[in-house]
Amino acid sequence: MAMLLPLLFFASCGSRTAADTLRIGIAEEPRTLNIWLASDANSRKILSQIYQALYTRDPETLEMIPWLAEKSPKYEPDNLAYTVKLRPAKWSDGTEVTSEDVAFTAYVIKKFNVPRLISTWRFVKKIETPDLYTVKFYLKKPNAVFLTRTLTAPIVQKRQWEGIVKRALERKKPLATLLNEKIERPIGTGPYVLEEWRQGAYLHLRKNRFFFGKGRIVNGRVLGPFVEHIILKIFGTSDVAVLALKKGSIDFLWWGIQPGYIDDLLKDKNIRVFFSKKSALYFMGFNLRKPPFKDRALRRAVAMLIDRQFIVTRILQGYGSRMLSVVPEGNRFYYNSQVPRYGFGMTRDERIRAAYAILSRAGYTWDVPPIDAKGGLVAAKGMRLPDGRPMEDFTILTPPSDYDPHRAIAGIMIQEWLRDMGMPAFAKPMPFGALLQKVKAKHDFDAFVLGYGKLSLDPDYLRSFFHSSGDKPRGWNMSGYRNPVYDKLADASRAAMDPEIRRKLIKQMQEIVLKDVPYFPLYNPTLIEAVRKDRFEGWVEMLEGIGNIWSFCELKAFAGGE
Amino acid sequence: MEMKKFILKRGIEIVIIFFVILTTLFLLFHMAPGDPISRMIDPTMNPEDAQQLISELGLDQPVWTQYLYYLKNFFTGHFGVSFHYGRPVLEIIGKRLPNTIILFTSSIILSALVGIFMGKIAAWHKGKKTDTFMTVGALVLHTLFLPWLALIFIWVFAYKVGWFPLTGIISAEVWTNPNAGFLLKTLDVLHHMALPLFTLFVIHFGSYLLIMRSSMLETLREDYILTARAKGLEEKTVRNHHAAPNAALPVITSIGLSLAFSISGGAITETVFTWPGIGRELVFSVSNSDYPLAQASFLLIALIVLLSNLVVDVLYAYVDPRIRY
Repeated sequence: MAMLLPLLFFASCGSRTAADTLRIGIAEEPRTLNIWLASDANSRKILSQIYQALYTRDPETLEMIPWLAEKSPKYEPDNLAYTVKLRPAKWSDGTEVTSEDVAFTAYVIKKFNVPRLISTWRFVKKIETPDLYTVKFYLKKPNAVFLTRTLTAPIVQKRQWEGIVKRALERKKPLATLLNEKIERPIGTGPYVLEEWRQGAYLHLRKNRFFFGKGRIVNGRVLGPFVEHIILKIFGTSDVAVLALKKGSIDFLWWGIQPGYIDDLLKDKNIRVFFSKKSALYFMGFNLRKPPFKDRALRRAVAMLIDRQFIVTRILQGYGSRMLSVVPEGNRFYYNSQVPRYGFGMTRDERIRAAYAILSRAGYTWDVPPIDAKGGLVAAKGMRLPDGRPMEDFTILTPPSDYDPHRAIAGIMIQEWLRDMGMPAFAKPMPFGALLQKVKAKHDFDAFVLGYGKLSLDPDYLRSFFHSSGDKPRGWNMSGYRNPVYDKLADASRAAMDPEIRRKLIKQMQEIVLKDVPYFPLYNPTLIEAVRKDRFEGWVEMLEGIGNIWSFCELKAFAGGE
Repeated sequence: MEMKKFILKRGIEIVIIFFVILTTLFLLFHMAPGDPISRMIDPTMNPEDAQQLISELGLDQPVWTQYLYYLKNFFTGHFGVSFHYGRPVLEIIGKRLPNTIILFTSSIILSALVGIFMGKIAAWHKGKKTDTFMTVGALVLHTLFLPWLALIFIWVFAYKVGWFPLTGIISAEVWTNPNAGFLLKTLDVLHHMALPLFTLFVIHFGSYLLIMRSSMLETLREDYILTARAKGLEEKTVRNHHAAPNAALPVITSIGLSLAFSISGGAITETVFTWPGIGRELVFSVSNSDYPLAQASFLLIALIVLLSNLVVDVLYAYVDPRIRY
């Protein structure tokens, strides 16, 4: 061992921390590099640097800007057609990107019904490729998602996938065959290409010398990439990943850091912490299919009793914001701040009084009401439904605290607030898979606290969450909300190709949701990320953090560095 | 002859037990709430698309059909495809298992060797300072909380002092360096292995020491030890050649079982040290409802436990000629 030590030391000295290598810490091994199977965050982190779309989002305004496309799509309302011109670009194997590749991508998604992606392509009736650089999309009917989601979907290379697709179609289970295909070298158009994936240890990306943006000014930004290599290292725990950042073994910790680490990181002069807004929605949902939450008045009273500010300041330790609407505030274009606010800015006393007023009006009674004859607050007991029957025990399902401590604790706090009012509420943490099965597949629940960590910027999810057509087993309308007025607005919003008209509709939809409260929005956690200041500069802040395509195109070695 | 009969009998027992495990495992997974599809919480996936995926994964079949497929797959050596990774289960296990084996087997062998040696010394000096120090030390170390100790070691030896890498099995910096040869890469793996190995050693050697010590104390009371001493043999010879080999028998049983359970018991160590082994994968696959991968990993553990039990029994008979079945 004594003889080995110097050699081992030598081995560690072999490492290079050159200015041309950006080292990133990620939480888990990516699931796959097969883009059709990649539904997890880690695979997407890698693939987002490889596969690119026709359009992307401006980091500041979040507006759509041409990416693989040369300019904005040309619309022909008469035949519902969009024409997109491609900019000259090459795949990472040096071959040209053509309209054939775009048409082929659509063909694969539609032919195989690729989960997740099919919903944004199903309504595309036909695709024509008049020449190598022009794609013409014909829609079955107007669909706003086309611009925001279909055109921002990644494009794959026909040359790489054609054979695989043909073979898969000959098999008994074509979709499973396609999803299970091993892709060792994904060919893309992005700033980086995969050099090596050493499973369980790291992924090595190298600058794509054929990247179409190289040296160009896109949307006022000079694109690189200026960093030759990216190495993504996998860390089992955040404790060790934070140590790695402090020690300088990594330059960027690409996952949400828990608030507990912040003080320690802020003390380090070589570390910069970024706080970004997330496109997330954490909410309480109710089962509208059965009592007691069938009653809107009760849902409103519950909403009134929930202290969102408390959740943000005490449970999230201040690293988050109260959500007023079901569209995150960061989504500035569609966010509606003028929705019913339920107890926003009220004290505990005021909340109880307001909830009491709502419930009394609706006919609820108590053995001991929360407000006594003199108008003082007392602990309420024995709440009765408007028909006089005692309110039965109900549960608030939450994920377990090892999965998400915030939601689990929020569930317990809500339970206590409701009990103050005499409601027999019981928070029940349960394994995530079991929770989803109860809520989504079986509809066997009273209320739950769940969240979406990453909602799309297009608010089409409002339609999925609350349209009556989604009220079926495994459907997205988990609450069982049915409102014909809402359905009409949701359908109209989907068909509205004019962004301004759509915006108005989406805002109206938010208002209705907050009036009827099938979901009650709770909070939106802040995304906390950290980098080494002494290694690279040029991080671009955006909704959803600094790990975006712009950062990877603009990062440069720190001028005062090595 | 007797031995052959014994092995055959145990072999049949093992097959029956294994079949019971196979079935129980299947039922357990299918009774557990949650399925791989309901976890895909992407609002863009509608129920019809989900249904298609369910049927392609074979999850819409009646349970007994799935069970028959499961048996057929198992007996044809086809463990299915992981729902999560989309790759054959055997490929994933094949990549992870060697990492686990290399770390845990070395740690067990190292702990056992040191444990046997120190246990022998402790027993020999029974009641003296050396014995007290070793016994108390072994007890304290053995009861330490592994994740805590692992993090402390990482903090001290990797972060503060910088002797070892923080975690992982290899350094990307070394392995992506085209000039790094085989020797350097091997040294890099050893360098990464040192800290987890040391942590496991610190936690485990105590138990071997204690087993060895108590076994040795019993052995030292045996008549043949008295005989050996009466023959005028040196104390060292009596200790090392007469007492220790006999006393080491219970340690062998313990080693056999530890080896078997090491492939499952390493989940915590593997997570803290980001060691890409099978233990971590097992926990991950269970929480992800990745049935094929989880089932295959459990079966592998069951198989190894059963086989190592057999091996220990046979080994016993060879090591101790008095034992015949």
